[in-house]
Amino acid sequence: MATKTKTVKKSKAATKLKDAPGGAIGRRVYSIVTNKQKTIQERVAALAQAPLTVSDNEDNLKAVLAVLLNVDEPIEVRMAAMQSLQAASFSVMEFESSRGEYRAALRKVAQDPNPELRQRALGLLARQKDGFAQKKLLEGLHSPEKALVPPEKALQLLSYDVHAAAYKAARTIVDNPPNPTAKSEALRLLAADATASPMFEKVLLDKNEMRENRQISASALHALDPEKMQAVARNIVLDSADYDDIKATSLTALTQFGDNSRLAVDESLRKSVDRMKTEGSEKLQQSAKLFLTKYSE
Amino acid sequence: MPDLTATTEKSEAQFAEFVDALAADPARHAWLPDLLREDSPFYNQRSAAAISRMRGWVLLALARTGVSNRELPFLLEEFDTGTDAYLVAAAARALRSYKKPSSEFAPFVIRALSNVRDEPLSFESYGDYATSATDTTPVRELFAVLAWLGPHACTALPSLASMRAQPGRLSKKMLGELDRTVAAIVGDTRADEVETDGCCNLRDDLGQKWRSFQGREDMDAVVSVVFEDQDGTRVRYQDFFKGNPSIVVFFYTRCDNPWKCSLTVTKLARVQRLLKERGIADQIQTAAITYDPDFDLPERLHSYGLDRGVHFDSHHRMLGATEGFAALRNHFKLGVNFIESLVNRHRIELYIVDGRGRVAASFERLHWDELQVVNRATEVLRENPRPRFAARSWFSGLGKTATAIFGPLLSIGWAFFPTCPACWAAYLSVVGMVGIRQIPYPSRMQPVFMALMLVNVVSVWFRARAIRDMGGFYFVFAGTLAIILAETVIGGGNVAALGVALMCTGSLWNAVGRRYLQSYVQRIRVLSRDVTSS
Repeated sequence: MATKTKTVKKSKAATKLKDAPGGAIGRRVYSIVTNKQKTIQERVAALAQAPLTVSDNEDNLKAVLAVLLNVDEPIEVRMAAMQSLQAASFSVMEFESSRGEYRAALRKVAQDPNPELRQRALGLLARQKDGFAQKKLLEGLHSPEKALVPPEKALQLLSYDVHAAAYKAARTIVDNPPNPTAKSEALRLLAADATASPMFEKVLLDKNEMRENRQISASALHALDPEKMQAVARNIVLDSADYDDIKATSLTALTQFGDNSRLAVDESLRKSVDRMKTEGSEKLQQSAKLFLTKYSE
Repeated sequence: MPDLTATTEKSEAQFAEFVDALAADPARHAWLPDLLREDSPFYNQRSAAAISRMRGWVLLALARTGVSNRELPFLLEEFDTGTDAYLVAAAARALRSYKKPSSEFAPFVIRALSNVRDEPLSFESYGDYATSATDTTPVRELFAVLAWLGPHACTALPSLASMRAQPGRLSKKMLGELDRTVAAIVGDTRADEVETDGCCNLRDDLGQKWRSFQGREDMDAVVSVVFEDQDGTRVRYQDFFKGNPSIVVFFYTRCDNPWKCSLTVTKLARVQRLLKERGIADQIQTAAITYDPDFDLPERLHSYGLDRGVHFDSHHRMLGATEGFAALRNHFKLGVNFIESLVNRHRIELYIVDGRGRVAASFERLHWDELQVVNRATEVLRENPRPRFAARSWFSGLGKTATAIFGPLLSIGWAFFPTCPACWAAYLSVVGMVGIRQIPYPSRMQPVFMALMLVNVVSVWFRARAIRDMGGFYFVFAGTLAIILAETVIGGGNVAALGVALMCTGSLWNAVGRRYLQSYVQRIRVLSRDVTSS
């Protein structure tokens, strides 16, 4: 019931804004956004309209920035303010004069007490390869007590920039992961490290490793050393004790990217794949059929 | 600058203190520009963001000590190709400490204004990032440069008017700054000082022109370099860069600065078209060499070049050094540094390599002009017309082949040289007895063979040293020794045959190189493994 009331209120507020005459829209939006007497829902709804007008003048922008930066504001309103500014930032020309100020505000919010807001701000900065965000994220990986986000999130955000110098930290996490997700993210990040192919080969061949990590390793090894991946994939396909999904991935890699001349005459491989046509999981059977269609039938 | 290798392990904070100390000591001001070189050991194994902070701090130190001609190319480079707000702003601040304004700077400042995104910055202390609006932004610093230039920046007025006309391009505050800048340019009383010879030709001493290398360094160091091209074909430095002059650029596919690698390779494609138009595309080669050969595999090179209009054939290739990158880096004195295997900072660099693989000219940091490059390469081509290259190349190839054939022939000749009348009869029965009178007495021939074999050993030694692979020489030496012993002390056909075999192997090794032999051995292994497994 409460949810229904909220929705009604929200839609009423949005309708009011839409109905307001052209020049008055901005003023009305910002009077609601900045009015603490209004309900959270009304202010959030007003902020949803704000991207259309936030770039119209600097006062509008400053009003929304002030909401974002004010730690006393409800978190829902601050989140909506950030979303509104981010949407406005896509209108390149109009937002240009405010872009710097917005970036500086995001840096401040990246250290906010609220973890969700912090994480979003760091995400937006990391996509712009912001040096401040990278510095903070790396600091957090080296000294967990300074971490602004969990290690897996930090790795994910650092992976937006290959020049962020996060390989060393990622390798440490692969060797000694604080949690399984962090290890997966570290592997994803290292997929751009040209020297990491031996590590990926090891993970891919390790049957005790998480399937997801083996899949990431297969994809990374293909990108970094396609020839090695072909050899490893062949071994996995021939290994009757390996898992079906990994075998299916390896078989797909051979089918799509393999050396045609070599695979066409590889009798032992063909015989093994032939058996997979009727044995194993559906996915493996499908991969086997595709392989055989290409190489022998 | 003294060798600072021992101090390059400094933390960023220590580096900042070091820079401040240099700036505070007039006797050591001259060290500062060395810290702007990309290949400075201080930047080894640092992130791109860390290098931005470090170089920015050096530029700010230069702003305090004053900029001379030596540092100008570094500043103009930031305006020309820089996208990092902190570095552009620091360079702008530093430029204002140059001894006098010049109209040559104005086009660079205008380019920087269009390249860089404005944002608040902090120059207060090392490594600071602004978290609120500040008075320091790259656009404001660039406006300040234009105001400092005064009437020398009159060519910037149309661009400033265009900026003013764009809605939302500048904030109210910045529009005020722009107006003040325009007023400074228009209302400056120094108008009579403005150069009359045009504004866009940068003087030689400011770094725009070619750097020619008169005393060219030989390519001994790079003979070990082996490349793989965009098709996966392997070629050695000495084979590709010998014979014809080449235009060489450096790049890497993961470069995220659109004004550097991507533009460089696109411009190289235009150079190729110019060469074709002039009918010299088969006399002047082009090569785009990646800084990141571990990642830039042939397929990546191919698609990167293709996307930018590069034409490929045996004279025009994109290359990755699979062996000897360090020698290559040293040969060209590349302006690049790395974090692990990834580039963390590099400059724009183009080289003209002569027909002997030596660097004849270079163009660094600032954007180069395609026509100028082709003209310079044509000059290098004229230095040594093609027939000479071709002849030299042919003789060079002949020499290599001769080394491979001559040694074994000599060894066989001496090992099986007939030493008794019965042997003579046996040999001559094959070719006919008519020639027996023409053959000199065997004992007189042996010293001749021995001398020729020693000549062969020495020639093999020279080549082994040149290719930095002594394996072939050891075999040839052992073979020669075996034959000499067999023919003088020990006697016996088996030892002589062993000597011949050793010489043949050594000569082959010396001619094709260990790496090629290894690759063939590897292929044989793979083949045999496949045969066994099937």
